[in-house]
Amino acid sequence: MRWYILQALLHKEAARHMANRGGIALAILLVAAAVLLSVFAPPEATAEGTNVVGGVHHCYIEYDRVTPLIRHLRANVPPEWKSQIVFRELARAEMIDGVIVYPTGTGALQIRQPRAVDSPTGRDVVHVAIWHPDGEPTALAAYEQWLWREMRRAYDELARQKLPEAPLPALPEFDADNRWLVLETHQRFQEQVEALRAATHPDVPPIVPDLAIDRKGLGGKVLDFRAAIATGMVVFALYFACVYLLPTLSCEERERGVLLAQALSPASPTELLFAKFLFYPALGLSLAATLAGIYKPDVLSSLFFWLALFAVGGGFLGIGMTIAALAKTQRAAFLGGMCYLLSVSMVLLICATNNIPFVSNLAVEYHGPRILHAAMSQTVDHTHWLHLIAALWLASVWLVAAGWIFRRRGWQ
Amino acid sequence: MSTDVMIRMTGLRVLYGSFPAVDGLHLDIRRGELFGLLGPNGAGKSTTIRVLIGQRRPTSGTVTIAQRDIVRDWATIKPLFGYVPDRENHFEEFTGRRNLEFFGQLYGVPRLRVREVLKMVELDEAADLPVRGYSLGMRKKLLLARALLHEPPILYLDEPTANLDIHSAEVVHRILRERVQQGATIILTTHDMDEVEKICDRVGIMCRGRLVALDSPLALKQQHTERKVDVIDIRGQRFVFDLDDPTDRAKLGALVATGQTASLQTREFDFHAAFLKLTGQAFQ
Repeated sequence: MRWYILQALLHKEAARHMANRGGIALAILLVAAAVLLSVFAPPEATAEGTNVVGGVHHCYIEYDRVTPLIRHLRANVPPEWKSQIVFRELARAEMIDGVIVYPTGTGALQIRQPRAVDSPTGRDVVHVAIWHPDGEPTALAAYEQWLWREMRRAYDELARQKLPEAPLPALPEFDADNRWLVLETHQRFQEQVEALRAATHPDVPPIVPDLAIDRKGLGGKVLDFRAAIATGMVVFALYFACVYLLPTLSCEERERGVLLAQALSPASPTELLFAKFLFYPALGLSLAATLAGIYKPDVLSSLFFWLALFAVGGGFLGIGMTIAALAKTQRAAFLGGMCYLLSVSMVLLICATNNIPFVSNLAVEYHGPRILHAAMSQTVDHTHWLHLIAALWLASVWLVAAGWIFRRRGWQ
Repeated sequence: MSTDVMIRMTGLRVLYGSFPAVDGLHLDIRRGELFGLLGPNGAGKSTTIRVLIGQRRPTSGTVTIAQRDIVRDWATIKPLFGYVPDRENHFEEFTGRRNLEFFGQLYGVPRLRVREVLKMVELDEAADLPVRGYSLGMRKKLLLARALLHEPPILYLDEPTANLDIHSAEVVHRILRERVQQGATIILTTHDMDEVEKICDRVGIMCRGRLVALDSPLALKQQHTERKVDVIDIRGQRFVFDLDDPTDRAKLGALVATGQTASLQTREFDFHAAFLKLTGQAFQ
């Protein structure tokens, strides 16, 4: 292996991409997407990351007038929902023929507060109207829970201000769901029944038991969609470099006869193939690592991430080399890559939807996204190590198969 | 083996399946010789060249280049030759200069040499244009420039002047003659008989994988010129007399002696006719 020849061959590959800027443009687009993903949705925004809660990407809090309740709600929006909850006056909502129009994927909690003078009870009224997407009555459930909780807290604060000495009941233990509401309702029902029992049938033992609710988290976490998108881009970068660029450009050189011209030069077949099979995986790995680093810089210091990247890159390199060995023309190589992608996607989909066991395990594409996603969302557990071992084994199989096909069919 | 022989093919046979593309070829090409390899399509010229550039292994027989076996010593033979294929194969997106610089790096030649060969083939003005903008003739000249980069002692040229204008073809002929004067051995395949007659030292004519004629163009001319005379007599009648036929010779003598000839003309050598005759015979 002569360095000056390798240098010339690697420089040639880079120069070809500089001259045909399609690949560079796609790489820049991927980097831009990673930057956007990182900048406009910082990691603390949401755990799940898609900014979609219950299928709704924005919830409008609409009000007829600004009251202490509205001010309290404004001041107590959870940080992860700051970009999803939009406060607006009802009068300013977009209307067509007097009807408020909501874009698809949005919902609204309208708060109307008629004054006491207009109320038959002589008290102020808070009228909450929940506008959910058609056919999805629970779509706003998460926002509703937040509203009921904050409303309770707002009036509790107001009561403590107005009645500083009064023995007001303590605030319930608020949680992430409606457990406090259930407990309070149960407790109130229990008090009512106990009062009646004591008044009418004191000899009957207590009827309504005490209620205790526990909520526990499972070991696994919800799917981190932002990490999933970033994983998709990382996998695509590797696929693009190793399964698309490598075979198509190799076959293009073969088809044009440029490979023959290089083969007749002092460069040996080993040097020619080594340069190609070094350049494209290096390109794919660099791009993939750049995308992952932009999304989550910490991931670059993770051993598991690099192992996963090399396993997936190795697998794709083997697949790309196999296509390059089998295809004679650039078009055949392109179609080979497409056919491979479609057939594997279909097999994985069919296996997943029909619970067909084992078959999926034979695809690098089954293990690859799982291990990369685990690395990027920092949720690696022992099952991911098993996936990593499987991916490394499949990558080895592909590389050996590609080498064998190359020897059988001739590298030119 | 004589050291004057640069390329030696002994009983070379190449089969495509059961079809013999080259069928027992015995041929020596001398050092410093410009050898023209002719033949109709499918005669086996390209297969022979393919064997010489290592792209096809002989089915049987041996080929030695500079006394080295083409199969066993391939790695040491590779730097000895330059090759101009019939189909151009450049990096279209690179400029002419960048194409040559890349191959120059592989051969380890200095950049100055790139400038020299570009000037030699008169492409120095277009050197910085992308090859995709080149005409067919310019592409052909760039192929020649690439083959000359490392100043190889052997050149294989597959129709080097196809698609070239007269001036460019002259440039190519001049370069080839200079290379031969400097001691290079050149094998040239072409369909241009005039070119063969003009620049080749020796010519081999192949047909159906076999060598059917081998000599210098002049000797072939002498061997295959039709020794016939066209005569028009004073009454306007046309006659053709074969000088190799004693009867015809006597008749011609009588006509001339009696002063009945109005016009008398010997036939010129026609390489095309000789080629057709030779290859036609081989087909029969």
